[in-house]
Amino acid sequence: MEYYIAIASIIGIHAMLGLSVYLVAISGQMSFGQQGFFALGAYLAGMSTALWGLHLLPALALGVVVAAVVGLLVGFPALRVRGLYLAIATFGFGEIVRLAFLNVRYTRRIGDRVVGPNASEGFRHVRYIYDRGITPLEYLGIILLALAVVVVLFFVLERSKLGATLRAVEEDEVAASMVGINVTRAKVFGFTAAAGVAGLAGGLFVHYSSYIDHDMVALPLAIASVTYPIFGGLGSFVGPLLGAVVLVGLTESLRALHDAREIIYGALIILTMLFRPRGLVDEALVLRVKGWLRPRAVRRPAPAP
Amino acid sequence: MRRPFVFAAATLLAACLLWPGWVGAFQSEGTVRIGGMWPLSGPAAFFGKAAHGLASLAVDEINEAGGLVVEGKRVKLALHAQDEACNAEQGLAVVKRLATVDKVIFSLGPGCSSVAEPVFGTLQKKLGDASDSGLQLLFFTDIATKFGLAKLSPWVFRNTPDEPAMYDFVVKYLKEKHPDLKTVMVSYESDFAHSAATWNLAVKPALERHKHHQIVEVVDWRWLDNEFGAQVTRLRKANADVYFSLTHTPSTCPSMLELKRQRVKPKMVIGITSLAGTEVLQQCPDVAAGIIAPSNFAPITPRAKQVADKAWERYKADSNIHSVPAYENVHLMKGLIEKAAIKNTEDTLLADRRKLRDQLAKVGTFQGVVGKITMRPEDDPVKPRDVDKDMILVQIKAAKWDVFWAPEHLKRN
Amino acid sequence: MGTALLDGTEQLINGLMYGCFYALVGGGFTLLFGVLRRFNLAYGSTIMAGAYAGLIPVYLFKAPVLVLFVTTIVVSVLVGLLVEFCCFRFLRKGHELAPLMTTIGMLIVIDETIVHLTDAVGLKYPAPFGDESLALGPFLIRPDYLAILVVSIACFSAIFWLMHRTRFGRAMRAVAERPEAAQILGVSVRRVNVLTFVLTSAMAGIIGFFAAVSVGSARPEMAAWLTGKGLVVMVLGGLGSFPGAILGGLALGVLEFEAVWFLGSSYRDILAFSILFLILMVRPGGLLGSRPA
Repeated sequence: MEYYIAIASIIGIHAMLGLSVYLVAISGQMSFGQQGFFALGAYLAGMSTALWGLHLLPALALGVVVAAVVGLLVGFPALRVRGLYLAIATFGFGEIVRLAFLNVRYTRRIGDRVVGPNASEGFRHVRYIYDRGITPLEYLGIILLALAVVVVLFFVLERSKLGATLRAVEEDEVAASMVGINVTRAKVFGFTAAAGVAGLAGGLFVHYSSYIDHDMVALPLAIASVTYPIFGGLGSFVGPLLGAVVLVGLTESLRALHDAREIIYGALIILTMLFRPRGLVDEALVLRVKGWLRPRAVRRPAPAP
Repeated sequence: MRRPFVFAAATLLAACLLWPGWVGAFQSEGTVRIGGMWPLSGPAAFFGKAAHGLASLAVDEINEAGGLVVEGKRVKLALHAQDEACNAEQGLAVVKRLATVDKVIFSLGPGCSSVAEPVFGTLQKKLGDASDSGLQLLFFTDIATKFGLAKLSPWVFRNTPDEPAMYDFVVKYLKEKHPDLKTVMVSYESDFAHSAATWNLAVKPALERHKHHQIVEVVDWRWLDNEFGAQVTRLRKANADVYFSLTHTPSTCPSMLELKRQRVKPKMVIGITSLAGTEVLQQCPDVAAGIIAPSNFAPITPRAKQVADKAWERYKADSNIHSVPAYENVHLMKGLIEKAAIKNTEDTLLADRRKLRDQLAKVGTFQGVVGKITMRPEDDPVKPRDVDKDMILVQIKAAKWDVFWAPEHLKRN
Repeated sequence: MGTALLDGTEQLINGLMYGCFYALVGGGFTLLFGVLRRFNLAYGSTIMAGAYAGLIPVYLFKAPVLVLFVTTIVVSVLVGLLVEFCCFRFLRKGHELAPLMTTIGMLIVIDETIVHLTDAVGLKYPAPFGDESLALGPFLIRPDYLAILVVSIACFSAIFWLMHRTRFGRAMRAVAERPEAAQILGVSVRRVNVLTFVLTSAMAGIIGFFAAVSVGSARPEMAAWLTGKGLVVMVLGGLGSFPGAILGGLALGVLEFEAVWFLGSSYRDILAFSILFLILMVRPGGLLGSRPA
């Protein structure tokens, strides 16, 4: 049982990271740097509980706020560029954050331990949930609750004017600006919110693992974070959720294949993308599902004149 | 009409493909299950596969000699190996799998410290503390050498090199046997905790303690760097007698190549403990010739040679300073499992682990492959639940690791 | 002060030569992006696969270095064609992000196959250009960097000649600028794509050979490192601009070498990325961006 709880916990955290990339992606930009905000959230939330004695909720909130503020500061200049330029710029930002934490030393002696980010040694002893006897199942509940809050916000966003604005910006920036949409403000808002979501994922992760270091927020996490929404589909927020479930699930279920595990994993990604080039939950599927859910009355053909 | 069918079939296939684990029946096969989580894929696969092979060899030897006696019956050992891929998320999932699906009584590994940190950090911190929701799984680690890991939990024991003691010996040896070599230059990997810690917590204190050598230059690089010109130019200008190259094979090989290019020829080159294996012999045996490394293992006794040969023959596993502890650990635990009088049922799994843990905590001195090993007690102020082992100095000669220095009592074996 | 100037100059010379290497990598990415309008994230893996495969004749029959070099190129081309077939051929226009994912999948497959076959251990490469640096006045110059300089100049010249003096080159540029118009005018876009893959994969073989020679071994980390540098150079120089890639590569080489000498390796990458960020803010199209941002 605990094994499945562990898998579900990782799925929950990574789904949130995927949603963070998704939020930037639906305004037409691909960010390869969400792992930088993940790192910020993880280190700040970890320091809050381990060094400054805060409780979990304020710690997570601090992680979210710091990540969002940095997202705002980075977003303004970064969003002046698009496409691959933005991808590289954001990846560069992610690397700057990672390398900064590789060099930061901010420790304090608490009892018999040295606690705090310690450059290449990493940041250990983030024991808030374990010291309080919160079981893995209970913590999974916390992760899923946080994920649910994010999902509800996304759901509301998709239906709201802001969501339409973001998608309009993705479709055609020029047309959107001609209709009076403040394109920059929409993009920066999306980027800031996405940074906050990634920061939340990081804060939840560091308390789950009790440890964070620079190696854990490097290129592999960048690739994973981008894979969830592209593989899962950008049609709706269900896409990155499904992407995380399938991809993390595959990583575990393919263990029986031993050495060929990673090769099969890569091949499955290729095959899936060839059959569903816009991801599992693409726009076409979303439209079809919405059609099913619409009441029949609307779909009756008009009576003949 | 076909669409929904295809959809349903795809969903069913996906569900089967995604099912993460099939639970085997416990103990019905008449075994004692032990586990190992190692990096069997990814950048550290070399070390993980070697340890897996050495552990498998030990399990084979025990089973071929009749297994072990539990509750009066003869049972076999079964090794459940899982791949942590040097990835924290996978490590955290895999440890739960070993503990609750494979239901092992203890586990070897992990290999990577970025896995060991979260895995050990989430174990129970105080024995028998009901308010601590950490995992209760016994670890007897073979590879992960990062300083302080065993302190993270009373469930963690390690049979890993004691670098501060080893390098203290190296510096003392240099002072006594080569007193004319006075200047020292150092390189280490700033993004690899093991390397940085070997410099900061082992070599530097040793040099300062013995007050014989003068540190004239310290350079650093990233362990996966490809270009070392600037740092080696600094070393060339420093031109010290002794060069401590405290770096792992991926950066040792290209940096030694650069030293050759720039004609930098220190009189002695001392390497990091992890170098003492075949990785460096495959990648750059010529430029690394002459490097001396402290180690706990070399095939210098008949038993050591036999283990190394058998491990290679059966499992293509390299016997080195990090993999041989896996072999030693399995053999030691076999005896301790019998002494602990475990019941080996699903319901008593936690109690059995606790009994075994307590046995390991008071094991004292036991026999390793090359020499004796002493497990430090839990109240040791410096390194509780870590070991003291005989050490030797090995040197690369003619594309092989030769013994440079060994203690007398080992040479006599 | 005198030493600092001398040291700075030596690092400048080395940086320019190594920058040619970066320019080659970025150039490969750029050519592909320019013609196909898509990113091949499996390019680094193609380079690495060629570098490893070149060792097979050396292990089997102690083949000389020239055979190694040719094998590297041949295998890279074969792997490149495989990448084209699996990751690009069947994706229609309008699916912009799909090739990103298929090439990531391909990257995983190639990298893991190599790790699986070699247990992630680096394999020794010969040193055909000698293993001692040449003393040129007060500077030490690496012979393999000189070789990279010569080969890069040859490659760039060959590519310029190809692009501007041959029919195929004209077809490539036509497809890069206006794919629909080119197609209407009878250019086989499919053939141009495949031949572009062949060209960039041959470059990949050359890159792989020199990367492995300069490090002394073929290593599994090569793919990620080369991909990272290649993308940075491509972006720095301006997407789709081949001369931009050359400029970007040289700039990155000099920046890195000077940074490591004066600041240490800890700050090299932070500095490189910060400068990249700044340049993109000031010139959103890269140094010689031919496409609007």
